[in-house]
Amino acid sequence: MSTTANTWFEFQRPAVAVPWYIWAGVLAVTSSSIGGAWDVSWHRSIGRDTFWTPAHMAIYACGVLAGIICAWLIVYCTFGRNSQLRDASVSVFGLRAPLGVFFAGWGGVAMLMAAPFDNWWHNAYGLDVKIVSPPHALLILGLRAVSFGVLFLILAAMNRAAQADAAGFRLLQVLFLYIGGLSITGQMFFLQEYTWDVKLHQAIAYIAMGIGLPALFATFSQASRSRWAATSTAAVYTLFVIGEILILPLFPAQPKLGPVFNPITHLIPAKFPILIIAPAFALDLLWQRLRSWKPWQIALVSGVVFVAVLTLVEWPFANFLLSDASKNRFFGTIYFDYNSRASGYDRMREFFFPDHGAALFGGLLRAALYASISTWIGLRFGRWMRGVQR
Amino acid sequence: MMRRGSQIALALFIALTLALPAYAHIGSKDVYEEVNAGPYKLFVTIRTPNVIPGVATIEARSSGAPVRSIQITPTPLTGDAAKHPPSSDAMRPSADDQAFFTGSLWLMAAGSWQVHFDLDGAAGKASTSVPVPAMPLSILPMQRPLGIALAVLALILILGLAGIVAAAVRESRLDPGLPSSATQRHRALIASAFTLAFTALLFYGGYKWWNVEAATYAADIYHPLSLSPMLSGNTLDLKIGRYDTDALHSLRARSNNDLLPDHGHVMHLYAIRQPGMDAVFHLHPALISGGDLRMNLPSMPPGTYRLYADIVHANGFPETLSANLTIPPGLPPAPLAPEDASAAPPALSQGELGTVYKLPDGYTMIWDHPTELSANTAYAFRFRLVDAAGHPAADTRPYLGMAGHAAFVKTDGTVFAHTHPEGSAAMQAVMLANGPSAEMGGMDMTGPLSSAGPGAAAAGDHIPPTVEFPYGFPSPGRYRIFIQMKHANTVETGVFDAEVR
Repeated sequence: MSTTANTWFEFQRPAVAVPWYIWAGVLAVTSSSIGGAWDVSWHRSIGRDTFWTPAHMAIYACGVLAGIICAWLIVYCTFGRNSQLRDASVSVFGLRAPLGVFFAGWGGVAMLMAAPFDNWWHNAYGLDVKIVSPPHALLILGLRAVSFGVLFLILAAMNRAAQADAAGFRLLQVLFLYIGGLSITGQMFFLQEYTWDVKLHQAIAYIAMGIGLPALFATFSQASRSRWAATSTAAVYTLFVIGEILILPLFPAQPKLGPVFNPITHLIPAKFPILIIAPAFALDLLWQRLRSWKPWQIALVSGVVFVAVLTLVEWPFANFLLSDASKNRFFGTIYFDYNSRASGYDRMREFFFPDHGAALFGGLLRAALYASISTWIGLRFGRWMRGVQR
Repeated sequence: MMRRGSQIALALFIALTLALPAYAHIGSKDVYEEVNAGPYKLFVTIRTPNVIPGVATIEARSSGAPVRSIQITPTPLTGDAAKHPPSSDAMRPSADDQAFFTGSLWLMAAGSWQVHFDLDGAAGKASTSVPVPAMPLSILPMQRPLGIALAVLALILILGLAGIVAAAVRESRLDPGLPSSATQRHRALIASAFTLAFTALLFYGGYKWWNVEAATYAADIYHPLSLSPMLSGNTLDLKIGRYDTDALHSLRARSNNDLLPDHGHVMHLYAIRQPGMDAVFHLHPALISGGDLRMNLPSMPPGTYRLYADIVHANGFPETLSANLTIPPGLPPAPLAPEDASAAPPALSQGELGTVYKLPDGYTMIWDHPTELSANTAYAFRFRLVDAAGHPAADTRPYLGMAGHAAFVKTDGTVFAHTHPEGSAAMQAVMLANGPSAEMGGMDMTGPLSSAGPGAAAAGDHIPPTVEFPYGFPSPGRYRIFIQMKHANTVETGVFDAEVR
């Protein structure tokens, strides 16, 4: 690695280990994560929004920042004279930039496509009242791709710093795990229609998390070189959601749409975070001890451990969440959407069609199998990521 | 890809709906209503969206005491959510005309709604409500330029991802500055081919998902309950079907066993002979059991009749059910019931009817025809009853509790609206919205039929021989209008034709 150049954007020297565009990327992903949570709360509390709500602005800010980073890096790497930055880039259709830039740019185009598509969708089928619709899926995919791109920008810098044993490695690793944590938050957001508290006694909740989480935990664990990657990223998610529960209800809000079944006076936060930090901690401990095993063997054990620990912790915790004991500002089970009916499962604090016996056992077995496959994919991809230099 | 999605959605839609239904009436979804709130008088037009959730636009013209401001709030007409209004919105007064206000409201669920109007002005505060039925009626097809733009973006995404994965495999793991090897380039090519196939598959999956969502939505599009007429001798039996949905859609679930009497009758049935519209009957079958009504038909000229049956559900949701009925020749003769009405105007093919209609007993009905009729414009159509001597009829009385009844029927059968002097909302829904003691009350809509009309004091009293109907034609074309007014013991049906631009 060259150390001759001495410009301000030189990312591999310890003194300026984290270049501005990585900070900007971290800010962009933070902004969209906050904006996303805020927007969902807005829809659950106020109902109606405009193009210019602060929550939307926070999401657009992510797009604007990502656009600036991508444009600057592509122009600089493709046409600039600085060979160092150009050397650490890849080429896509003749344009040069670090790999992460292209992921983020791809996400930007996906978001750009989602906007008119979503607008048409609302005109064609009515304003969607659910999160997972085709245009929303495209928008979320775009946001996740931007986040993935920023993760890769950090990754390449971090891997080079690790190779050079540079002092900046630690900070880059922290940033990597932070963005990884926001990815876990995003993943849990995407899964929340399956993991609503009243559905936590259904196998589908554990199947959804078994598919969606171990791949990310294993990827972050392998790629970050951190012994506590799964625990740290799960902690980011947990703190993010608890922060939401503590902060959002401080802001007054009232519904601007009917039907109003539950009059409210302040913003409604997300449901209490799923205790994924427990299986994440178990996976970290496991992975520290099974380094010499083959990936498929690690994956098999990990899948079973993940689902077993998650179920053992979350199942009884769900009982607590639906009990009166959790009715406080910390656990937040006092907050319901303006359009939630008094006879609804969540306001009645009853489980929605809980699974029992063979159906439950079979479902959890499937969850463990999927979690194993998910872990295997994560392990393979994470190991590949460890080699990324550009 | 996008075009096909919209085409399939459109085809589904067309397959499911022959003509656009519009609940309360047929093909005439907008609400035109004249309301009194204390000293204030408003002519309200509520244009409901074709998709739900969607935005309803609202216009109000004030003609009573001067109005300074109007706040509007939507709530369901009945049930829990009726008690919890969301925050209200202000209507904007027009810059040129301070008596004309416009506003818009989101209707978030299908069902029976009302819009509250809170007025403030020189005469203090007052409020009133207008019932608004709302149902998804159609799916918007995708415009070609948008479809092309989305298809191009999708293509960029598919190709772009293949290029990015190729770069990732080829050179992302190389130390800075090193060139890629032939093996890496070869592997990159394979990886990009896989990515291309995978992403294309992903987008295809998304497109299939889109179709499923579109089909689900299409299945939710409003259809009136079914109406099955059966004729044996001159006894007509009408069976109403059920429309069952799960609890999640309880706002749009409809039963055939929850009908409210409107103007004293559970059903107002119009029978119009096709294709000439040269025989019309306004009849009132009686409820025999849940969803089953029956009556003895009066003497009717044989032929095929289009039936339009108005009913109102317990939550105030009005519907017009429709079916065909063939009357064979030689039906046993029977008289028309005292509260029923009929007319035998010249057939459509004999040319357009004028603004003066000669009634069989020598009376005349006159339409004060506006100079020009255009679609989607709110009018207050005025009709006058004149006696045989050419004087305003002195013996005019309420008919079914109202000064008059009107039916606006498009000659191609796509529009039918049975309206009243207050407007196009069902009276029973108006009562639910404003309570029996509201301004429009004073009329007993559920009791005996001799009760007083608007402005009238008591049953049997004479009322002015002039009646006004707020209404707007939903589309251009030819319409036939049937107006019923009563004088002494005779129910008259005047018939007029309208050419709407």
